[in-house]
Amino acid sequence: MTKPIRVHMCPPGPNPWKVVIILEELGIPYEIHSFKFDAVKEKPFTDLNPNGRVPAIEDPNTNIVLWESGAIIQYLVEEYDTQKALTYEALKEKHQLTQWLMFQVSGQGPYFGQASWFNVLHAEKIPSAIERYNNEVKRILDVLEGCLEGKEWLVGDKITFADLAFPTWNDRIDAIILCPPEAKFEAHPNVKAWHERMTSRPSWKKAMETRAKLMDEQGLMPNVRTGDLWQSKTKSSTVKKVV
Amino acid sequence: MAEPQPDITLYTTQTPNGVKISILLEELGLPYKVHKIDITKDVQKEPWFLAINPNGRIPALTDTFTDGKAINLFESGSIMQYLVSRYDPEHKVSFPAGSRESYEVNNWLFFQNAGLGPMQGQANHFNRYAPERIEYGVNRYVNETRRLYRVLDTHLKDGDKQYLVGNKCTIADIAHFGWINMAAWSGVEIDEFPTLKAWKERMLEREGVKKGKDVPEPTKMNLTKEEMEKKAAETRAWIQKGMKDTAQK
Repeated sequence: MTKPIRVHMCPPGPNPWKVVIILEELGIPYEIHSFKFDAVKEKPFTDLNPNGRVPAIEDPNTNIVLWESGAIIQYLVEEYDTQKALTYEALKEKHQLTQWLMFQVSGQGPYFGQASWFNVLHAEKIPSAIERYNNEVKRILDVLEGCLEGKEWLVGDKITFADLAFPTWNDRIDAIILCPPEAKFEAHPNVKAWHERMTSRPSWKKAMETRAKLMDEQGLMPNVRTGDLWQSKTKSSTVKKVV
Repeated sequence: MAEPQPDITLYTTQTPNGVKISILLEELGLPYKVHKIDITKDVQKEPWFLAINPNGRIPALTDTFTDGKAINLFESGSIMQYLVSRYDPEHKVSFPAGSRESYEVNNWLFFQNAGLGPMQGQANHFNRYAPERIEYGVNRYVNETRRLYRVLDTHLKDGDKQYLVGNKCTIADIAHFGWINMAAWSGVEIDEFPTLKAWKERMLEREGVKKGKDVPEPTKMNLTKEEMEKKAAETRAWIQKGMKDTAQK
């Protein structure tokens, strides 16, 4: 019997949930080890991941420790997706899935992350940096929009791990570029429909419920992300005008 | 039925992501054609190239697949995984699929593609290409790049490793080489990381690296400070134009 895979994470960020969604979709038993962000660059976690980033997994069935969400996803699919539920048997399609996964981890993830940093987290507003990363968010959505034209999924006619790598970042676009939640896919209807096909699945709902619970345990508020951030931006700009 | 012969064309330019693929092809001893993409003229955004890579980035690679039909690949990391899974049965620069080492190689490959590459790329931007000098941006990314170099340096030092995984040069090492080799351009002092520097010198002694790093033309990594600044000024002009054009679409 498969022993549960241990997933180490801090609950707020998008990358651990990519892995949880794959575990849910494949029905692999897992247990979450949730910890606060300030422990991410300290022992004992850095003994698992020298890079001090989440997620990391320990698989007691194979004694393998992996970090980097992309490498973890490839591992889970290769080891546990014997029915090819989220992948293909055919090599050509497999390579195409890999390239979309790579596009997610090297393009969408890092650039959305930097956009979030300069728009939201960094106190000083630097217009040229904000513009740079907002443009890149748009450019990446444009690439996806074009590739999803007339298609439901990125490769072939079924959902795969490559599709499922994208929604955790796409879901928070409004909180990244600070736009109203309903406007986040305004220019990208194909991406919107694709995103909603995934967020209506039980795997997404389960992951987000777990996330809310784990954030609550740490006294964090999972729902202050989207609408509230947008409102606080609107408010602070109003205050500025008064001053 | 015999497998079709490789019919590889590499679309590339002299960048750290481009040379990953030429170095790997040289290490594997595979025949390939080089199609140089002039990114100063935005060739990577022309329709024929977007049909190969909708993301408009180099490198890309085309080949005849096992079914006799064409395959188009983009993303340096997925091209590397493709090449070893198809053309490295003797495991010259890889480990057998499903082995612990193969998963650990992937771990470092993703570390490069999702972490070191994007962050050092931002360091290059703020250090060399940005329209204005933003000290905060320079420091943020140069320091993150230094942090990632430290992770590599410590990993190599621990157990006196010759290469990242299993004491054998693999695609994980090859993926890092071009980036580590341009540390000075990014504003990072390689002497701060002696074990990583020794690894770089070790990589530079490999025949495949020597040949592959100079595709499609010789790399210019031994520039003086003044030469680097001159080159940056030239590059800055077309990068700014390209970014502006993209933003207006």
